[in-house]
Amino acid sequence: MQPNREQQLWMYEHMLVSRYFEEAIEKIYLEGKTPAFNMANGPIPGEMHLSNGQEPCAVGVCAHLDAGDIATSTHRPHHVAIAKGVDLDRMAAEIFGKKTGLSGGRGGHMHIFDPAVNFSCSGIIAQGMGPAVGAALSRKMSNREGVAVAFLGEGAANQGAFHEALNLASVWKLPVVFVIEDNAWGISVPKADATAVPRNDVRAAGYGMPGVHVAGNDPFAIFAAAGEAIARARAGQGPTLIEIETSRLAGHFMGDAEGYRPKGEKEALFARDPIPRMRDRMIAEGNLTAEGDAEIAARAQARVDAAIAFARASDYPAAEEALERVFA
Amino acid sequence: MSEKVSTTNERRLTIARAMAEAIAQEMRVDERVFVMGEDIGGLGGVFGNTRGLIEEFGKERIRDTPISETGFIGAAVGAASDGMRPVVELMFVDFFGVCMDAIYNLMAKNTYFSGGNVKVPLVLMTSTGGGYSDAGQHSQCLYGTFAHLPGMKVVAPSNAYDAKGMMTAAIRDENPVVFMYHKGLQGMGWLGTEAGATVNVPEESYEVPFGKAAVVREGTDVTIVGLAMGVHNALKAADLLAKKGVSAEVVDLRTLVPLDRDTVFESVRKTGRLIVVDEDYHSFGVSGEIIASVCERDLSVLKAAPRRVAYPDVPIPFSRPMEQFCLPNPDKIVAAFDTIGGA
Amino acid sequence: MASDIVIAGDLWDGDEQAVVTNWFASDGATVTQGMLLAEIMVEKTQFEVRAPADGVLTIVRNVDDIVSKGDVVGRIA
Repeated sequence: MQPNREQQLWMYEHMLVSRYFEEAIEKIYLEGKTPAFNMANGPIPGEMHLSNGQEPCAVGVCAHLDAGDIATSTHRPHHVAIAKGVDLDRMAAEIFGKKTGLSGGRGGHMHIFDPAVNFSCSGIIAQGMGPAVGAALSRKMSNREGVAVAFLGEGAANQGAFHEALNLASVWKLPVVFVIEDNAWGISVPKADATAVPRNDVRAAGYGMPGVHVAGNDPFAIFAAAGEAIARARAGQGPTLIEIETSRLAGHFMGDAEGYRPKGEKEALFARDPIPRMRDRMIAEGNLTAEGDAEIAARAQARVDAAIAFARASDYPAAEEALERVFA
Repeated sequence: MSEKVSTTNERRLTIARAMAEAIAQEMRVDERVFVMGEDIGGLGGVFGNTRGLIEEFGKERIRDTPISETGFIGAAVGAASDGMRPVVELMFVDFFGVCMDAIYNLMAKNTYFSGGNVKVPLVLMTSTGGGYSDAGQHSQCLYGTFAHLPGMKVVAPSNAYDAKGMMTAAIRDENPVVFMYHKGLQGMGWLGTEAGATVNVPEESYEVPFGKAAVVREGTDVTIVGLAMGVHNALKAADLLAKKGVSAEVVDLRTLVPLDRDTVFESVRKTGRLIVVDEDYHSFGVSGEIIASVCERDLSVLKAAPRRVAYPDVPIPFSRPMEQFCLPNPDKIVAAFDTIGGA
Repeated sequence: MASDIVIAGDLWDGDEQAVVTNWFASDGATVTQGMLLAEIMVEKTQFEVRAPADGVLTIVRNVDDIVSKGDVVGRIA
């Protein structure tokens, strides 16, 4: 299954929006935090986990999803949220803690909820998987269309919830796809030290579902694997586990000195940045021109700029609003 | 705490370094002690509390784990029951949701279920506390949650001297100890600095006994009881109150299980007024327990209603103005006194 | 003869400034060579500052002060 030109352009543009967004957030996050890095300071306080380099995982999968489908993500959610169609202005405002944010500032960057496109994320490892299974269950039981996708990191594959979610999805033959974004690092611990098998796709056999491995962080290959898995789910054939080899160009969290990464690893990763690789391929295959690329890049940048401007210009919530919305 | 400072040989440590030093000193004399957890190896712990350990003791005894809390905490229970003395880290107390069975149903109950025949000498160290916008799943204290469930000791140091002594005592204890360290007191500059927590720490090994609260500031007009960061809020409030001619006594609980109710009661008997500072949720927790303990013993010691300055019963909000609104702080303590300060 | 406690040029890559996050001895305390005196932080990484000599410490730069490579943060006499 290969993306047509329109789908390629969709993926490429969303990767750019995602990357430009992360670059903007990174700069703003550091405001007020130099030279003294105190996490509490600046317009974006708290933790920040950026998705630079992992964009292909989001667009290759979400190219097959519409607003009615469900996606759950992790503490590193921005690229998935963007590909899923989350309201970018309100997501930016939420990250800034403004009252116009998706949750009025209550959630922040790790707790982004947009019911309009059925997107949510959580800061607890592997905890998006159960809810994805449940959403799939809901659609099946109520005879409504829809597929659920749970995004997780490779570290989450060692968490109890992973095994329970896979087993349950398989036993009940649910329309859910589990997508592992393997960036090889769980904070400072490399995959080889934490996971008993070199590739998690082999674990799928233990849960009676197909397991697929996608190497090379390539949006085309991801598109193909995800397309097949999502089609299976829609056809009532049950869940699939996909593990994608991707790369984390940023640290685990902003401020992470990454002393644990071997020397030269990051430089090698930057040399394989998936965005220029996709651009070069599309141009070589005649699906993009240099002018077209400049247009898309400008549009993507403008969209990000508008979202950031909206966030900056919005007000903070009144402090007492902290006590509201606990119950519906 | 001035009586502990030796001006000639003074050596201050952060709580993070004090914890690491205590663990190292015990590991040097007891080969059964080992450390497990996420990023406690080469990284030295996300919050600095295992700094230097893997360099000294190696990978066999300092074990980075997969992200498998139920797995490795359950394993720690088994290892402790079999004669080892594990020190295990639950990186954020908020993560207890994925492994609580291993903690409260196994670790805390196996000694009882076995009629005292099986010991579980395990230290579960875990980070608590907010104030730096880490939102609702990374900022909680949950003191009440753990103190409420029988079978585990629960300790929470406010300063490095106590931290080292309590970690040493925890490792030597034959019972499971939940060692709750507040992130804002660790001395990691990126979480802000609370200078009052970085105090003189003797180089030699020593224990701080559990079940003994400390009167860290003497006073006559009101007793302010606190834990961890709450102690520092209370001390600052005491300074503010002093400017208004009010003499506040500050009690550092140090441990929740066992709880030193006597010291709290004696202080309130002296001052007649009680304010409890608690960064954990307001209802059904530590603040209520302290107040109930005093009242049920002798209501007549109170000249005014007791007060609590605690976190409201809401999930911790991300946005800074909302989070700061919710957190206890010295001004709130002073305001609480103003409602009971009468003649 | 006084010894300056200088932020070494090879502690971290680049020219970023650091912040003093902890002093482990007080102004006026007697310190010994090699003793851990302070911590400074660049972004999120903390670096140790140790005493270059025995003697009495005078603190020059305090907690939360911003420092650069080559700055003198204290003196021992």
